[in-house]
Amino acid sequence: MLSTLELSPQVLDAQAPIRIAVKNLDFYYGEHKALKNVNLSFRDRHVTALIGPSGCGKSTLLRIFNRIYSLYPEQRATGEVLLDGRNVISNDVDVNELRSRIGMVFQKPTPFPMSIYDNVAFGIRLYEKPPKSELDDRVEGALRRSALWDEVKDKLKSSGMGLSGGQQQRLCIARTIAQKPEVILFDEPTSALDPISTGKIEDLLEQLKSDFTIVIVTHNMQQAARVSQYTAFMYLGEVVEFDATNTIFMNPNKKQTQDYVTGRFG
Amino acid sequence: MAAVTDQMASGMPAVRRTPKGTFDLVFRNASFLAALFVLVLLAGIIAAMVAGGWPAFREFGFGFLTSSVWDTQNEQYGAFPAIVGTLSTALIALVVGVPLSLGIAVFLTQLAPPWFKRPVSTAIELLAAVPSIIYGMWGLFVFVPLFAAYVQIPLSNIVEGMPIVGTILYSRSPSGLGILTAGIILAFMIIPFIASITRDMLEQIPSVLRESAYGIGATTWEVVRYVLVPQAGVSIIGAVMLGLGRALGETMAVTFVVGNANRLSASVMDPGSTIASRIANEFNEALGLQLHALIALGCILFFVTFVVLVIARILVARVKSF
Repeated sequence: MLSTLELSPQVLDAQAPIRIAVKNLDFYYGEHKALKNVNLSFRDRHVTALIGPSGCGKSTLLRIFNRIYSLYPEQRATGEVLLDGRNVISNDVDVNELRSRIGMVFQKPTPFPMSIYDNVAFGIRLYEKPPKSELDDRVEGALRRSALWDEVKDKLKSSGMGLSGGQQQRLCIARTIAQKPEVILFDEPTSALDPISTGKIEDLLEQLKSDFTIVIVTHNMQQAARVSQYTAFMYLGEVVEFDATNTIFMNPNKKQTQDYVTGRFG
Repeated sequence: MAAVTDQMASGMPAVRRTPKGTFDLVFRNASFLAALFVLVLLAGIIAAMVAGGWPAFREFGFGFLTSSVWDTQNEQYGAFPAIVGTLSTALIALVVGVPLSLGIAVFLTQLAPPWFKRPVSTAIELLAAVPSIIYGMWGLFVFVPLFAAYVQIPLSNIVEGMPIVGTILYSRSPSGLGILTAGIILAFMIIPFIASITRDMLEQIPSVLRESAYGIGATTWEVVRYVLVPQAGVSIIGAVMLGLGRALGETMAVTFVVGNANRLSASVMDPGSTIASRIANEFNEALGLQLHALIALGCILFFVTFVVLVIARILVARVKSF
């Protein structure tokens, strides 16, 4: 099992500043405590993977960073999630502004019911009013970076709903990066896609990490090994082990981590 | 695995029941007849309406549509005021009802706290089930006097003598009855339909789409306006058309509050009549050409409703193709 894992080239920059620091974070769905005293740090311009069995809290953790959980009144978080030193879960944060700085790509592609062009321009237009030519450039740039431009450049005015699943997911990535966020959260971005589309998304992640801080939740351990530089293994709402991806997969400290990454449980 | 296959192969062939051909034949023909019945029924109604209204159409020709006279003494009939009344009350109902319905649906699905959502949802279902005569009675005994005292009279005092606005909103006899009143009552009647269908459609939108719209920093208004409503677009048009269909044909409640005037007035505050209310008022005593004229009115209503349906279909097909 371990020998088949293809690990990403590990260019760890230990000097990279910490973009997001999670301190003593607890999370509740109503009465149910879903995260227990989570402490993690996410380095700038690195990909950090969150792995663990279903229900371990990895998606829950991701949904705290951009305050999506705030849409649901029965959900609450306590502790600190510091984005550049500012606690994003405190009540005085402007969540809309926060979400424009922390983009998110979901499990299923979610194109909006509008043209391909408008899908990408939507996020830009929310916060900026660039002139038409600049907007065009940003849309094209985002579509190029998400490796979609060549496939859609002749049909920018047609509906985003008409694309294939993999194209739709890249459209969502284009929409996210067009907004120039600082952090991008990926919540199992390839779980609904075929292997070829998955490969394209993974290649994209590799490219995107030069500009963005990336956090990815994945069920697929090979994927975590391929795309990430740091990995956190979570179980039952707690972080069991957090280290460089190489260490987690080749030489973990905890037996539980070892069992999970070798497929003995999970 | 191999053993299992061998066993299956060497076993006795399954004894199959010969299908009973007769029952299947009867079943096919019965379901065909049931479907055919719809066509026969529709054709029968159209034929009866056209045949019954024919003498009036023959007598007055195209003038039946454009004439405003409705004189039972001299046997002169024209449909124009009733057609205008039908279309204008339905239009008012949509203008008042659609924004309210969308507001209700959006609030219930996106913003309402759970303790408030349940009672409002139930109330909407109940309102949809209220018989139209109740709306008519409530309209006549409660809404009409209030409307006269607090809207018609003050508004008439304000707009009197103004150009255009004064014509449309001035009421010569502020009784509370009139086209606008009927339109508002109709709006109340179609709101539960449009609101509950729209709510169901908005609820069916996967929450991940809503989350991703919020996820790029859109406000609630932007999420609703640019993502959720367009996503439910076709169904919302369908719901509105269903409401329009009901507003065009509604009889009882409108007859109570529309005022049943045979003449045409430029003011929405004045009494008027709709096709359905005219028929309901006069059917009992109608004889000869008057009866034919009423059936001809029915024909026109039938046609108008049919056209609305066709337009709705075209709109839905258009939106879908995008």
